[in-house]
Amino acid sequence: MKYNIILVIMFLSFSVFGQMEGRNISFFPTVNNQLIEIDKNYFSDVVTDSINFETIRFYVSDVQFCYDENVVFSLEKKHHLVDLELPESMKIDFEMEQDLKFNKIKFNLGVDSLTNVGGAMRGDLDPSNGMYWTWQSGYINFKLEGVTASCPARHHFFQFHLGGFQSPFNSLQIIELPITNLDSKDIKINIAIDGFFKKIKIKETYEVMSPSQQTVELAQFMASIFSISK
Amino acid sequence: MKLKTYFLFFLVFGSVAFCTDYLELEYPDHFPKPTYDFSKNEFSKSKIELGRALFYDPILSKDNMISCASCHSPYNAFAHTDHDLSHGINDEIGTRNAPALFNLAWQKSFMWDGAINHLDMQALAPISHPKEMGETLKSVISKLQNKKIYPPLFQKAFQDSVITGEHILKALSQFQLTLVSANSKYDQVKKGIAEFSAQEKNGYELFQQHCNSCHSEPLFYNLSADRKDNEFANNGLPIDTTLNDYGKWMITKQSADSLKFKIPTLRNLSYTYPYMHDGRFRKLKNVLNHYTEGISKSQNKNADLKANIQLTSNEKVDLIAFLLTLNDKEFVFNKKHQYPKEILNQKNTSN
Repeated sequence: MKYNIILVIMFLSFSVFGQMEGRNISFFPTVNNQLIEIDKNYFSDVVTDSINFETIRFYVSDVQFCYDENVVFSLEKKHHLVDLELPESMKIDFEMEQDLKFNKIKFNLGVDSLTNVGGAMRGDLDPSNGMYWTWQSGYINFKLEGVTASCPARHHFFQFHLGGFQSPFNSLQIIELPITNLDSKDIKINIAIDGFFKKIKIKETYEVMSPSQQTVELAQFMASIFSISK
Repeated sequence: MKLKTYFLFFLVFGSVAFCTDYLELEYPDHFPKPTYDFSKNEFSKSKIELGRALFYDPILSKDNMISCASCHSPYNAFAHTDHDLSHGINDEIGTRNAPALFNLAWQKSFMWDGAINHLDMQALAPISHPKEMGETLKSVISKLQNKKIYPPLFQKAFQDSVITGEHILKALSQFQLTLVSANSKYDQVKKGIAEFSAQEKNGYELFQQHCNSCHSEPLFYNLSADRKDNEFANNGLPIDTTLNDYGKWMITKQSADSLKFKIPTLRNLSYTYPYMHDGRFRKLKNVLNHYTEGISKSQNKNADLKANIQLTSNEKVDLIAFLLTLNDKEFVFNKKHQYPKEILNQKNTSN
């Protein structure tokens, strides 16, 4: 009798809370809809010639799933360092209730200000990951580096280290993307890097490595190139 | 009864285990509570020991020649005496005077321009600066992992022999947090175990009248609890055009911060000359002369000090007599803070 009651309770809890299932969010940096590989040449009309990328590395934090304006699920791990050089970092695996309804994913592109003043952190936030400024306290939210001939810098090397958490140069961006295909277990996020280059003039803007008004604008451009893959 | 015995055993054993490694920062009653959040980096003997080894080990620099102590010598209250601007790797000269390191647990920001917001992150700046240690944290991790003495020291301190950036920085913080200077004659007067001479007493009154609003007691930089904190000031120094250093402005890009520099502590002045962010004054009397004559002559119009401070030459002598009561000889010669030869002089320390 006792066992029957336990079984009934277990059955009810499954029905009430739903079963958990594995899902993931993966990131795909692209040029001309082609997936970017480190140090490979790509031709694009956004630069006059070929472009290649040495670093595409950024922080995704506070990932939330929403149904309209209500948050229905939040990822437990707060900060994720996504690095094109580390394939395993390009995908965030997690478990979610099977029947949970959501129509939006929301996350921060960057590291929140509280973490920026919290001292030495571990794991994805360890300052040895090359995403912490050394001459000034603060995380780099997005690091984009590479080479294109139209960049006037030494060795044509462009460097965008976008960060800064203090007013008025807070470069953290909130990204909200609508999700229409609810059946898919995988959420694929396209990052159209060529879209970033469309918004800047590489002949004029190619080395940005400190917090400023320009950095904030570039961070906004960067946030605008994230979209859900069709 | 049996349960009680077990409980007692665990209580006693637990307390002994706790007492052997964990510590509390010691400071006198006339000091405020520290700013550093020890809950995120619990103070322990083994972390301090590791931090001390790292502080004195030149392995932190690219050519393995420069240690933190190269510019922050214990005998100079962890400043760099005799050099207006500090020199680092390959004798490269920097742009600022290395500040003294003590009473850091009470500081909210670091560097002359406040670029660093947490003690843990401070060491990253000199380690990575091309004119200081010219190294990367990633490379330091790999060098330490391959040096025989370090994995066991990290294991003991953090229960993990795999070395991380976080643990290196936290251990360095721990050692620097132990650098508490709180036993000068001034402190002994505050504790009621010494008395100022008539001259020192007069100097103390002049200090309270003219200097205390920026160099607030008892730490003598600006962290006084009863007034609006402002750790930085433009003290009217004319700009040195060989350096064009605009201080805090270079970090915040806010015009109000132009030529503002961190207000340094006045403790241990006899050990930390030369003075000011660029080490332009070698003697205390030069500093006082700036405040009594230099402000009005300076082209630096946005100075927080609008007029010269009025002091007679006798008053200057008395004021200096008081300032010298802030020297803490016990701190400067404390063996616990010096080179850890028992760790770093071990034979066969590298693999």
